[in-house]
Amino acid sequence: MRILWAVLVTLLAAGVVSAQQPEPRGHVSKLGDIFAAANVAASRGDHATAIARHQELIAAGVHDPDVYFNLGTSLAQSGDYPRAILNYERALTLRPSDSKASANLRSAERALEETRAEAEGEASIQRSSSISDALYRRFTENGLAFTLLVANFLFFAALAWAWVRRSRGRGLYALLAGSAVLLLFSALGMAIKTGLLREGPRAVVLEDRVALREGPDPRARVRGEARGGDRGELVDWDRDFVKIRVIGGLEGWAPTTALGRIDSDDATH
Amino acid sequence: MIRPLTLVCLVAIGTLTLGATAAADAEAEVFLSATPREVRAGQTFSLEVRANIKGGGLEDLTFADLKKYPELSVISHQTSRPMQVSFGFGSGMKVQSSLSHQYLMRALRPGTFEFSPAVATVNGKTYRSNPLTIVVVASDAAATAGPSSPAPPPEVGEELSGARYDPRAFLRTVVEQESVYVGQQVDVTVYLYTHVGVAGRSVNPTKPAMDGFWVYEEQITALEGSLITINGTQYRAYVLQKAAAFPQRTGELTIGAPKVAFDIGTMSLFDAPEHIERTGVPVTIDVKPLPKPGPVDAFVGKYSVRARLDRQNVKTGNAVTLRVDATGVGNIQDLRIALPPIAGVRTLQPVVKDQQRFYGKALGGTRSWEWILIAETPGEHTVPAIELDYFDPDSQQYGSASTQALKFSSTGIAAPAQPTVSPKEVPASREAAVFGPIRMYSALTRGATPVRERNWFPWLLAVPPLLFILLTIGVSLARRRERRKTSAGAVQRTLIDEARAALRGNDPRTFYDRVVASITHALDTRTTEPVRGLSNVELRTRLVAAGFDDDLVQRVINELEGADFARFAASGVNTEEMERCLQRTETIVERIHRVKGRA
Repeated sequence: MRILWAVLVTLLAAGVVSAQQPEPRGHVSKLGDIFAAANVAASRGDHATAIARHQELIAAGVHDPDVYFNLGTSLAQSGDYPRAILNYERALTLRPSDSKASANLRSAERALEETRAEAEGEASIQRSSSISDALYRRFTENGLAFTLLVANFLFFAALAWAWVRRSRGRGLYALLAGSAVLLLFSALGMAIKTGLLREGPRAVVLEDRVALREGPDPRARVRGEARGGDRGELVDWDRDFVKIRVIGGLEGWAPTTALGRIDSDDATH
Repeated sequence: MIRPLTLVCLVAIGTLTLGATAAADAEAEVFLSATPREVRAGQTFSLEVRANIKGGGLEDLTFADLKKYPELSVISHQTSRPMQVSFGFGSGMKVQSSLSHQYLMRALRPGTFEFSPAVATVNGKTYRSNPLTIVVVASDAAATAGPSSPAPPPEVGEELSGARYDPRAFLRTVVEQESVYVGQQVDVTVYLYTHVGVAGRSVNPTKPAMDGFWVYEEQITALEGSLITINGTQYRAYVLQKAAAFPQRTGELTIGAPKVAFDIGTMSLFDAPEHIERTGVPVTIDVKPLPKPGPVDAFVGKYSVRARLDRQNVKTGNAVTLRVDATGVGNIQDLRIALPPIAGVRTLQPVVKDQQRFYGKALGGTRSWEWILIAETPGEHTVPAIELDYFDPDSQQYGSASTQALKFSSTGIAAPAQPTVSPKEVPASREAAVFGPIRMYSALTRGATPVRERNWFPWLLAVPPLLFILLTIGVSLARRRERRKTSAGAVQRTLIDEARAALRGNDPRTFYDRVVASITHALDTRTTEPVRGLSNVELRTRLVAAGFDDDLVQRVINELEGADFARFAASGVNTEEMERCLQRTETIVERIHRVKGRA
């Protein structure tokens, strides 16, 4: 039995250690220079340069919440709120606990709504408001994955203990119940975070009044239109068109250039 | 009513007070003296200003002529303030104190120097000392040199090259190699030689001009002196500057004259320190071109190079970092490396980092280049070998260092470019200020593989349930085996086996005990009630009721009686009888198990 425990602990520890091994960091200095140049430009009010520098970083493979945050901020300060919303959403996907990114996201949405309301009298943005999203908003996918592993281990360890020892103590029942709840919670969270319960990757509409058509063709009949900043799910692709289902339920084909994906390739199924 | 003792005390206190009042009439004496009063130029002498005071407080003691003559230099100054207090009936309390300034001075020039008296002020009264005259006669050395120019000593040796000698303090520039190759290290050290005490914090050196050199200076954090004797005189030598200089062009290059300003240390808080300034001499270096023939782009020094990639596999469109380190002795900041173009790979400008340090006296270190290589097409990409030619001035030979060719591969189709995000020409709204501030630090992480997609994740997830299943199966098998061990048949077999073992061991007592136990166990199992302790009549009734036929009942009773008897008379039993008993017992047990119970 002791050997069994030792094996389990070793496996878990090995997993955690390998999961925490940092990525090679040799690239940081050069990328750091670009990042610094972007920040200098942003601090001088040269948002165009700041945006270009941050995009250069992203093009070089950087997938960092702070870079997305700064890009979102530069875009917001230059008045491009839909793209700011997209980048804040990306930052929050990578670091859900980032309260400043959340605050800036709300500010960008509010600014977009106010700008639109001034012109049209009334405006609102279609954004996700599901309970599950709200429940798991502050958890990262990796955090949930590790929680799942630990809960899995605890649950089966408690079960094994009960089986071998024929123990029926209250503490054991509490451990079993607690680990089972944690297991279910983390498994459900994983399913939500990885998009298993969604029809496709999340996206933001980047242009205002994007026509949603019945087919992937500019001549196809228009079903409706999506507004800049609206959220949706990408459900189908065809050459330069992508089919989006916006949160309000409207579905249609739009040019890929008019939409920005929140989830990276790795985060979609 | 005043008691006599109190009266005595009052009288005593009054007497003391009167005595102290009487002592307020102070007396003072002031002296001015020198030892010796006649000296040779260059020699030292001591000068003392002293005031002795009785019964008063010294307010001031001045000696205005101390710095009247620049020909007499103050080397050091010491102050002492002894005080003595005494009591005595009749004379009251006596306070006697003195103040003494002792100066160590050096006579620089011959002449007669007259000092006016020192003045002391005690309780408002002024007291004067005697005047003093010092006679300085010419020394042999001073007689040959002009007094206005502090000439070097008559024998200036090789060790004083790079210096303009001064008996009190001078600067010296020491260059270890006066003929070098262009780019070769030249060690330059500037020393301050002093024969007088230096107030450490007052030293303010001005570095020499070193045009045409690339200079790496060692940090001098504290003045540390060492004693050196020059022409019989001890000097303290301080390192003011230490540098490794690398000539950048051929011809004669000059290291300019260093300068320094400092104060001579004094022990007195009241005397202003003497300020001294000195200038060194320039030094010329002959710089030769590198010998020919040789590579045109050779760097001076001795180096090794190493290259590595931070990853071997990337997605197309992602970046790999190539790092090249050149390590060795020489001016690494001269080093240049060009990365040739790589097909299918976009190369960003490298970032260069230097880590310089001294290997003994030689400056060297590591220069690192980091290139970001972005794979634009899928496939295998090769970073060619990078070569570095150098000229080693120690061996006076050319050499070359090279890296290995490195490979990395990119897979997948290049990701379509993100929608171009060009900021719209929308004026920033009034609320623009609510965004930010931007973050000045970022880990700049790349898209790491999520935990759930790591290879070990599903295995780690599957291990607990799998182990649980294995554990369940193992425990179930063990329990079944345990149950088998304790079943009736197993017990029966065990008892017969034990009887057989006792037979083989010729142990009749144990044998018959196991025989009785075996038959009794079979009856217990069959009748589901214990039969041990029943009389023969009760046993017969019980067995008949359980469906046993008369013959079997009789055999059981006979065998139990016989075994009981034999247990207690074991000595009369032989082995053959025991074997027959065992056979009978096995037959009886088998018949017992075959008995069909009555409904």
